[in-house]
Amino acid sequence: MKPELVDPVEWNELTDQLDEEFGEGVSKALLGERAPVTISRGDIKSFYLVPMEWIANLEEERKGFEIHSLGIRMGDLTKERFRLSLQILGPLAELTDRVLVVSRQGAESFTYSRSILKESVIKLDAHLKRGQRVIVLNKDGEVLGLAALSVDGNKLKRLARNRLVGKNLVDIGAYLRGA
Amino acid sequence: MSNKQLRQRAKDLAKQHGYLPYMIERYLALWGEEETIQFIEACEEQITTSIRANTLKIDAESLQTRLQLKRVTLKPVEWLDEGFWADFDVSPGSLFEYMLGYYYVQGVPSMTVTKVLDPRPGETVIDLAAAPGGKTTHIAQLMDNTGTVIAIDEDRQRIKSLESNIQRCGVSNAIILRGDAKKLDKLERTPDKILLDSPCSGEGLIPLDPSRKTSTSMADIRFCATREDELLEAAVNALPSGGTMVYATCSIAPEENEYIIDEILHRHSEMSVVPIPLEFGSLGYPRPYGVELNESMTLTRRFLPHLHGTEGFFICKLEKE
Repeated sequence: MKPELVDPVEWNELTDQLDEEFGEGVSKALLGERAPVTISRGDIKSFYLVPMEWIANLEEERKGFEIHSLGIRMGDLTKERFRLSLQILGPLAELTDRVLVVSRQGAESFTYSRSILKESVIKLDAHLKRGQRVIVLNKDGEVLGLAALSVDGNKLKRLARNRLVGKNLVDIGAYLRGA
Repeated sequence: MSNKQLRQRAKDLAKQHGYLPYMIERYLALWGEEETIQFIEACEEQITTSIRANTLKIDAESLQTRLQLKRVTLKPVEWLDEGFWADFDVSPGSLFEYMLGYYYVQGVPSMTVTKVLDPRPGETVIDLAAAPGGKTTHIAQLMDNTGTVIAIDEDRQRIKSLESNIQRCGVSNAIILRGDAKKLDKLERTPDKILLDSPCSGEGLIPLDPSRKTSTSMADIRFCATREDELLEAAVNALPSGGTMVYATCSIAPEENEYIIDEILHRHSEMSVVPIPLEFGSLGYPRPYGVELNESMTLTRRFLPHLHGTEGFFICKLEKE
């Protein structure tokens, strides 16, 4: 396992996908003054954002030690699907309007790995489409995790209280569960 | 008390309180009977839970307000701006605020170790035996996520906890390296500071884990002492001139603490023990069991269950000329 600078073509593919999902220019803003690097572990390629000044030292740090992780973990690419990390969701939430706000009860339930039902939804923009990944926030705007919409935002009002709105992809309860 | 009498008394006390006799024998030689009994009694008391506000995510005052609403009573730790004694109705790790990374459940001695190191923004700091990350995340917090924290551990499973805590606490300036800390000389980085909270016998953790009354033999302590000496040697060799380091253990055994420091001072005239500018704990022992050690052992500090209501800990700050 050794960190490498991300291949520019691969980075463009990834950032295009993120921008399409979370808004134009989001990837560039997330990257900021950092550089993207990857570490491959079997079929999984983990992406990290690191300060520019670390790049020169990456080679040296390998001697006798294995770099396990560095900087901000952005997510993992596995079977052509990019899974965002919990760590990147906080910065991402500040840059995007693709969010789903849930009630206190919904937040409790979500952090126990459960998905989001209509009765828990406080806010979901009408322009969001089924399949879209959204950041799940509580009423105070704190990041609880990531969900995939199972319904178009403009159809929310027509749903029954107990119908599924967002499928849980990852939540901060994972920090307790050790997932 | 003659040696024979001491052994017999140790045997009696050990039997009465469920310890291995060699442990009580050492405590009697170190502290005398009255203090040994105070220690034994204190080890039966529960240690008060403590948490560290993670100021990378929330200020200490806001955290206090939020936790009060959840009936958590916090009392500041005098020498730690971000440290609190905490009384929870529920498991301290079960609240939203924990998952959000607003606090870290951490013993007061452990928080104190990082405060003694005094990492500053922009520095390069190496944290040896870093998992599960209490001190790594605290270092990053005190550096305001600037500079570089190099967290080293050897165990793959424990590294997972380290990474999880780093992410939960919003740390962005850490590099996790897996490897043998004794090979620190291969790391081509010049640190400003090194923290070695060494793997140890854990003899200071009896109040938290009573099984330690019988689980560690004298041979285990000797084994730990050898490893501690090797790790400290590696850390000293990696530290540049003018660099600072902190050596700590959660053991109360002088064999793992003052003896180790005394040895390193013998081998490295360029190293010296320096005063700790914080008011906590009690002084280290310059003459444990009657053995004369370097007088600067009085600059080291100890936390002891019967004197400070915490788990036992040893903290020593060193500088290289």
